[in-house]
Amino acid sequence: MTDKFTPEKQNLVSYSLMGPESGGPCLVDSNQNRITRIRPYFYDRDYTDKHCRPWKIEARGQTFVPPDRVTITPLGLGYKSRVYSANRVKYPLKRVDWDPKGERNPQNRGKSKYVRISWDEAAQICADELVRMKETYGPEAVLCESDMHGEGKRVAPSHGCPNRLLALMGGYTLQMRNMDSWEGWYWGAKHVWGCEPVGEMAPNANLYPDIAKNSDMLLFWGCDPETTPLGVVSHMPSRLCYWFTDLGIESVYVCPDLNYGAAVHADKWIPILPNTDAALQLAIAYIWLTEGTYDKEYIATHAYGFEEFEAYVMGGEDGVPKTPQWASEKCGVKPWTIKALARHWATQTTSILHGNGGCFIRGPYATEPARLEVMLLGMQGLGRPGVHQGKMIEWNMWVRDYPVPYQGEFVPKVPQICDCLRAVDGDLPDDIDMRRYDLNDYQKEKAPELVELFKKFPAPKQFIPRCIVHRAITEGQAEWYGLHCFSSSQQPGPDGSRKPTNIYQFDKIVYPRPGCSRVHMIWTDSPCNVTCWNNGNLFADAYRDPSIETVIAQHPWLENDCYFADLILPVATKHEMSDLCNDLSSGVYQSVYITEPCCPPVGESLTDFDVCVKVCEKLGPEYVRAYTGNGLTEADRVRFFYAASGCEDHMDWDEFYQRKIFVVPVKEDAQEVPAGLKGFHDDPAANPLSTPTGLLEYSSTDIAKYMPDDPERPPVPHWIEKSESHDERLSSERAKKYPLLCMSNHGRWRMHAQCDDIIWNREVETMKIRAWDGYQYEPMWIHPQTAAERGIKHHDIVKIYNERGIVLCAAYVTERLIPGVVYVDHGSRLDPIVPGYLDRGGCINCITPTSMTSKNSTGMAVSGFLVECEKVTDEEYREWSTKYAEAWNRPLDPDGGVCLAGWLTDPAMDEDPTNGIRCLKDKEGIPLPAVQTPWSSVDWRTGE
Amino acid sequence: MAKVFVIDVARCSGCHNCQLACKDEHCGNDWRPYAAPQPPTGQFWCKVTDHPRGTIPKVKIHYIPVLCNHCADAPCIAAAENGAVYRREDGLVVIDPEKAAGQKAIAEACPYGAVYWNEELALPQKCTGCAHLLDHGSAVPRCVEACPTDAMKFGEEEDLKDLLADAVVLHEEYGTGPRVYYRNIPGCFLGGLVYDPAEEEVVIGAKVILTRADGTTLETETDAFGDFWFKELPEETVSVTIRAEGFTEKTFGGLNTAECPNLGDVALERE
Ligand code: SF4
Ligand code: SF4
Ligand code: SF4
Repeated sequence: MTDKFTPEKQNLVSYSLMGPESGGPCLVDSNQNRITRIRPYFYDRDYTDKHCRPWKIEARGQTFVPPDRVTITPLGLGYKSRVYSANRVKYPLKRVDWDPKGERNPQNRGKSKYVRISWDEAAQICADELVRMKETYGPEAVLCESDMHGEGKRVAPSHGCPNRLLALMGGYTLQMRNMDSWEGWYWGAKHVWGCEPVGEMAPNANLYPDIAKNSDMLLFWGCDPETTPLGVVSHMPSRLCYWFTDLGIESVYVCPDLNYGAAVHADKWIPILPNTDAALQLAIAYIWLTEGTYDKEYIATHAYGFEEFEAYVMGGEDGVPKTPQWASEKCGVKPWTIKALARHWATQTTSILHGNGGCFIRGPYATEPARLEVMLLGMQGLGRPGVHQGKMIEWNMWVRDYPVPYQGEFVPKVPQICDCLRAVDGDLPDDIDMRRYDLNDYQKEKAPELVELFKKFPAPKQFIPRCIVHRAITEGQAEWYGLHCFSSSQQPGPDGSRKPTNIYQFDKIVYPRPGCSRVHMIWTDSPCNVTCWNNGNLFADAYRDPSIETVIAQHPWLENDCYFADLILPVATKHEMSDLCNDLSSGVYQSVYITEPCCPPVGESLTDFDVCVKVCEKLGPEYVRAYTGNGLTEADRVRFFYAASGCEDHMDWDEFYQRKIFVVPVKEDAQEVPAGLKGFHDDPAANPLSTPTGLLEYSSTDIAKYMPDDPERPPVPHWIEKSESHDERLSSERAKKYPLLCMSNHGRWRMHAQCDDIIWNREVETMKIRAWDGYQYEPMWIHPQTAAERGIKHHDIVKIYNERGIVLCAAYVTERLIPGVVYVDHGSRLDPIVPGYLDRGGCINCITPTSMTSKNSTGMAVSGFLVECEKVTDEEYREWSTKYAEAWNRPLDPDGGVCLAGWLTDPAMDEDPTNGIRCLKDKEGIPLPAVQTPWSSVDWRTGE
Repeated sequence: MAKVFVIDVARCSGCHNCQLACKDEHCGNDWRPYAAPQPPTGQFWCKVTDHPRGTIPKVKIHYIPVLCNHCADAPCIAAAENGAVYRREDGLVVIDPEKAAGQKAIAEACPYGAVYWNEELALPQKCTGCAHLLDHGSAVPRCVEACPTDAMKFGEEEDLKDLLADAVVLHEEYGTGPRVYYRNIPGCFLGGLVYDPAEEEVVIGAKVILTRADGTTLETETDAFGDFWFKELPEETVSVTIRAEGFTEKTFGGLNTAECPNLGDVALERE
């Protein structure tokens, strides 16, 4: 018998929240069917030193040696609290006033509560509804909301299993993810430098060794290396940043907030108003042009259309020279600092770093700063040693060569079953391969058992971009340009290159397509449109639209869009299932590892895959056979996927099964691959970009050809004050009522909408603030001066609002933010008081702009928009809490916030989960705790 | 055998991994006889404190993780009855969850506020140094293992002596002989930016002289951004004079370094 100090089981589980990529493993101990602890995974040094060619970077007499472990992040460490969260969906739920045979009450979605039903009943309802939709309207009446950024499950991931089921029904309407973290790059920068597939610099081989050796200055432009990598990579970016400082490389942060990276790494912070970077960039170009401090020879040989760009900057086009004084009024950076930055940059070998998200790339007209950045890099000889655009995350994503030299001598290819993001057949030419989930010839040979499982299912016949799903539903029709496919899907050819896809951005697409029904039912496994997309309140309206007869959600937690579902199917987390994962991204080694259940599924939850199998069982045995590839079990899948991964040539199954992990030896000559765009820099004729001219296009040939008159994305990038799509500047008439700019980044304590319920993260002041009423509100950052103008004090309950609605937060008064701005991380769970209007959960996306990035750029704008904020008055508080008493007084978990019990007609039905670390004690509901002293005000010196 | 913790504040990113790992280990997990379960929330055996200083844009933050100091001369041991708090051979100070029941005096005795009172169990609780793990094969406690930057280290005093050379303890004046050491806790700073309002240009290379309370001076120059910084200052009242050729010099007096003053964008008038 083992004692309690020795774990009965140790498993490797992905801590990544970037599904369907699995990401790095952590080590999970469990005892008596309960998770005991979650730890970093340490590589077996005896093995890796001998077999895996450990790497290091040498520069300026110093050596960077990666750690001996996968550096787990706060989102993975606290995951036990997520597995046993008070808002786990424990059994199938049906909205109490939704009757599939009678009254459906769509208007009550987001308001009415749920009752527990059996799996049998739930699966039958799903099957009946699918059949009814198909027979009544055709299969396209079902919208599948299913894309990415879920738990790091791999084989049958958290997003995409329903697509497979719906494909078996004969088709569906696909919700196509827009390029949510790359909007500006995709719709803008691509027209300057190609860089398929998404317009971020590619290839990005060996950027960090090259930067370590050659860069003098790093511009972290809207980049937070201590935040966005946490759900995706590891803490490797943090370690690199410390090393760059050790090497004497200057770190300059340009962003509205002193973000968590700037807080510890910045040598200089230049605060800038949200979404005004284009003005600063234009003024920098102005200085370089007037002072001749740019690389004219490079421009002569590498650039196209530079004269038009120059004319615009110098005022030749509109009579307005883009001087530092001009820019200063727009962006809030003083003219002398703009000049100093421009001059310093011109003398320092400089790279720009990003980490997705944030204020830079997700605002209105994001195409413009994105394009301008590339142009500035071009003016300083982009591709020369030390001059790059680099990323602090997603090192594995685009090419075979990585910016950090940890890539394996081969790329392990663990297949995936689900096909969540694919182009509609015929939308793109066949030689642009957008398939993600398929078997190649090698895999078919090594794992013939899988061929049946990967048999082609019919492709969907229509899609709607995720950023306009709400408008498409409420208006019944929509049209837009491009976005045939979420572009990460484009497979590189044998030489690593990708086909240019720029021109497909100019295709006009309509919904509904001829012969296809409009949408009448929604099936979601990514229930976070209200939380993470543009104008969440309009999504709330769309879910309640009378045309939507049925909404089904399958998800482990009752959160966000789930409140609008008629039926909720409980899903097991990655800790409760078997899986075969591949880690391409955590940054020390690449590996393939096996996961086994750490504990039994919570409640009656099933894996994502088995949820759909349950429904198939009701549809008929032929569905089950087709869905499961003739009855392959979870264990079969793991075994055969390993055979297909390419690793079995290096480690046989028995050894793998015993070790649980195969670490891929590092590619021997990894650091010999030329860094970044060196090829283009050295010889642009021999190594052209994938733009029409092969050059850096300062005036875009494609835009000039297809949309020359688009004032929101003209051939040469512009500063756009306002336009048909957006009116979100401080100069706007609207600013009289809404005089603050709201900035929103990916959260420090969440990955998009994931992990808002980790009770230990919620104790950190920048994650949640417990206000006087005991409720844990989302922090809203505000500068002391801006707060004082409004009589707002630290920890006051505040409302942030504009025409689109009201979101409640608690004030976090700080010098870490430029005055005139409020800042709220996105992804806080919705707590709808008045659905579509008033949210208590701090879900800031509720009030983000409706319009797209710009009228022909099918992206979303969710940062840099106008709001006002005020302290919530006692009268207002009293009014809301009485008028909307039912919603206001929904039971809450004192530490975890919104929870399952709050949404059950009878909270007592949320029985203690036998394996839970905590559970609701009061069956009548949880009274809010008495006002507590926030721990951060306790002086650690005195404990008082 | 004497274990110590050494925390390098200059390498601490404030990620909170140490705080979270500690909770993952102890909340709801029963490690008696080493420790009773910590309540789900509310106690911080390891607490990452954040210290933002300065004003926009000269703002710096450092983080100091605090935990029980495993004092060589521990008041909590003295306050405990019937040996309810004891020092192990490896130096870790542990509260015995059986014997300590009801002894609130233990919590009150700690000058660092490292001991929490568990109402439900009527028990003082604190960091155990993860003794239960060390005794069962782990080399280091959870907080140390989870630290992604290696800012937090744990080991034999002898093995870590290089790191201890410049280390300090928190509140040495309590006289309890703390065995958690800190390196690179930053001193106060003072900064600003110098510019020429006529030309709207920063002034590079301006001399900035800081005069300390005792009359001695420190000197620096403005950099390419017109910025100047004085770092690692003690808490005192100082004055600063800014001098550049062709400009009228400017002096700022009565600056309290404890507030990490930012003189802002200082306009120098031409002579
Ligand atoms: S820090 Fe407090 S609890 Fe820890 S040993 Fe010292 S006196 Fe005791
Ligand atoms: S040593 Fe263990 S108990 Fe003490 S702070 Fe670290 S993790 Fe917590
Ligand atoms: S884990 Fe390390 S880096 Fe993170 S807060 Fe703790 S000491 Fe600092």
